[in-house]
Amino acid sequence: MAKTSLALSAIVLMLAGIAAPASAEVDEATRAQRWADLRAQIFGSRAIEDAGDLVAIEAPTRAEDAALVPVTIRINGALRGRVKEIYFVIDDNPSPLAGRFTFGPAADPNEIETRVRVDDYTYLHAVAETKDGKLYGAQRFIKAAGGCSAPATKDQALAAERLGRMKMTLRGQPHPGEPMEAHLLVSHPNSSGMQMDQLTRNYIPANFVRAVTVTYNGAAVLSVESDISISEDPSFTFDFLPTAAPADLKVEVEDSNNRHFEGSWPVKPKSGT
Amino acid sequence: MRRVLAAFLLGLAAPGTLAAAPLPMVQIAPGVFVHNGVQEDASAANLDEIANVGFIVGDAAVMVIDPGGSALEGEALREAVKATTDRPIRYVVMTHVHPDHIFGAVAFKPDHPEFIGHAKLPGALAQRGDYYLRTLRRALGDKADGTEVVAPTRLVEKTLDIDLGERVVEIDAHGPAHTDNDLTLFDRRTKTLWAADLLFVNRIPVIDGSVLGWVRELEALEKQPADRAVPGHGPVSVAWPAAAEPEMRYLKAVIAGTRAAIKEGIDIGDAWRHVAPEERGRWLLFDDYHPRNVTTAYHELEWE
Repeated sequence: MAKTSLALSAIVLMLAGIAAPASAEVDEATRAQRWADLRAQIFGSRAIEDAGDLVAIEAPTRAEDAALVPVTIRINGALRGRVKEIYFVIDDNPSPLAGRFTFGPAADPNEIETRVRVDDYTYLHAVAETKDGKLYGAQRFIKAAGGCSAPATKDQALAAERLGRMKMTLRGQPHPGEPMEAHLLVSHPNSSGMQMDQLTRNYIPANFVRAVTVTYNGAAVLSVESDISISEDPSFTFDFLPTAAPADLKVEVEDSNNRHFEGSWPVKPKSGT
Repeated sequence: MRRVLAAFLLGLAAPGTLAAAPLPMVQIAPGVFVHNGVQEDASAANLDEIANVGFIVGDAAVMVIDPGGSALEGEALREAVKATTDRPIRYVVMTHVHPDHIFGAVAFKPDHPEFIGHAKLPGALAQRGDYYLRTLRRALGDKADGTEVVAPTRLVEKTLDIDLGERVVEIDAHGPAHTDNDLTLFDRRTKTLWAADLLFVNRIPVIDGSVLGWVRELEALEKQPADRAVPGHGPVSVAWPAAAEPEMRYLKAVIAGTRAAIKEGIDIGDAWRHVAPEERGRWLLFDDYHPRNVTTAYHELEWE
């Protein structure tokens, strides 16, 4: 995992070097060029098919709060069950590759929900990679929040105090082999390190969750390589496949300061519904 | 017209070098002057003059309370002080990090005042200042020119008394509420509570700190007797504590409704549709801020 995290960091650094066009008035050609640059950095010359309805990005048309925009990426139709990985890109954020979500055998690999920071008027891109190595891309435009909203921590003291605490909510009753929704929260300020402190002219040190690994009954459910575009207190909702026997859902989290957090939750399925 | 011309020229020169037209002020009590912000979001047309800002004149000095939402508003507020008194501006209080309240601070630099802020204001400015500058530029275009982040030079941990000359103004630092760096002020001479953004009247409150904390701080503040209060948004002067009732009702409705939505497993993005729908129609800008308020409250309350 350390290796893949490094790989993501490397991509992030490269992407950060591409100047983001500022503000709402950027024309479509500039936005298209921006995405062309980003996709070349992330996927090289690999072909990305237009996903049509097969990959859906659900997000509000306008970010209500720049610090917390709920986003769901849903796999539909013929692609269901065939995806091994989802890349999520926020084109005009300071660090565009928000997350890379890899599904394991214990996952129902059709949906991922998270919360992100949105700094500007921007396209969102989701690219799904199938188990046989094909890429399918979808996009959606989102407007930045207005007013006093900022992609920043609201209560800095609380964020520090609660660091590393986790919360797992399982929705519904587990049935063997049937997808069950799980919602993971990790308390962490997830600060970017890319904001300049206007008072000191220094950059605030980065402090963010860079990897999350979820296993169930010892088998991989989901691994996330995450980044500073993920909101404070990173949140991930996913589906896993409970077994007939009771087993544990386990989570490991690693942050950019090499802190390590763990959590474990028992799942006791009801058999023979 | 003069104002427009001044605004144009200010765009070319450093603030403070040219006289802007004074900001219109209302004297709500002897020596207490407030400019009534418009109930809009920031734009080039309103120069981000959307918050109630003003000043208190003592026998020896002037305290500006919230320097305004842009360099241009700060300049106009400074002219309003000069048109009222020749006493020096010794203090500029920045009641919290939000741009509509503090981005005018740069206009007061020539007065070399103490810039007073909450002990947590520098941290919040570090995180948000740069982003707020970009947002202001997006909303105001070149009308934002000259605006910059000004650091507080004196921090308030709990409370601070400032004597303006036979006139003591008490400054209180609050726990996380509207933001995590809110100040309120109390002018003892006229028993005026300057509540800043702990009090919204008519315009929907914006939750950007802690909704639970805000209820706590407001309950404590309501016990403080005052002859009048100055809300951060709303009329320039209101009855205290009666004017806080609608805000308290809204905050409590958001807490109760959001807790219920979390319990029912409603997603954070949809929760606002189910929370406090009866409050729609009671507030200006409801649709612009209610979804965001519920999102913020959800993020706070889901850890309970």
